[in-house]
Amino acid sequence: MRFLLVDRILELEPGKSIKAEHHISSDEDFFRDHFPGFPVVPGVLLTEMMAQAAGKCLDAEGREKGKGKAMLAQIRSAYFRDWVRPDSTALITAEVRTNQAQYATAVCAIEVNEAKVCSADLLFSFLPMNEFAPGYRDEVLETFLASRKHGKV
Amino acid sequence: MAAEISSSEALAWVAEVFEVPVEKIRPETRRDEIEAWDSLGILTLMARLDEDYHILLTEEEIQQLQSVGDILNFLRKRGLLRDDQ
Repeated sequence: MRFLLVDRILELEPGKSIKAEHHISSDEDFFRDHFPGFPVVPGVLLTEMMAQAAGKCLDAEGREKGKGKAMLAQIRSAYFRDWVRPDSTALITAEVRTNQAQYATAVCAIEVNEAKVCSADLLFSFLPMNEFAPGYRDEVLETFLASRKHGKV
Repeated sequence: MAAEISSSEALAWVAEVFEVPVEKIRPETRRDEIEAWDSLGILTLMARLDEDYHILLTEEEIQQLQSVGDILNFLRKRGLLRDDQ
């Protein structure tokens, strides 16, 4: 199983805010167990979607400043307001509140069909890039930055 | 600048940051007596000082904080804490 929970970045202000989306297919394996007859996206995956989106926002700035990769350190709060069913598209937003050398915090939310389904307040630390595999890159972020460079966003 | 808080409010704030019941901590409580005062706890403390009081801790200041009383003194030095009457 891959663990890429952001398909596409729609808007990005590096280190400040991001809007992204992820489509949840009805074929996802976890729907077999969560739950038979009432398939809903697990809250941990919704939280991870928000963390990945906020992480990309921080990484977009961090790569310029050599800060390292943003890593989720703490779920300070999380609220799940509505079920997310198969074949939904999650609109993920994150607003960075504080952003320092060692840590950052972000307030995140997911909307489905223009209704807020969850929100979270997340704390991130930064891990040096040399901890990761050589050549590791974030394709979703790279694609967005490349398209912006070429004036497509 | 953030509003001043009393000693008891500051204690409650520290308890919230480290997720311990406020009755379990006193100014004398040392860092090693608070389970959540680890590397993540330090990040949490730094982020909360930043968000709540607009204070950025330096590496040197972090090293100097070894007890709850040290945090209270730090807030006092920054003019954020007024001692209870």
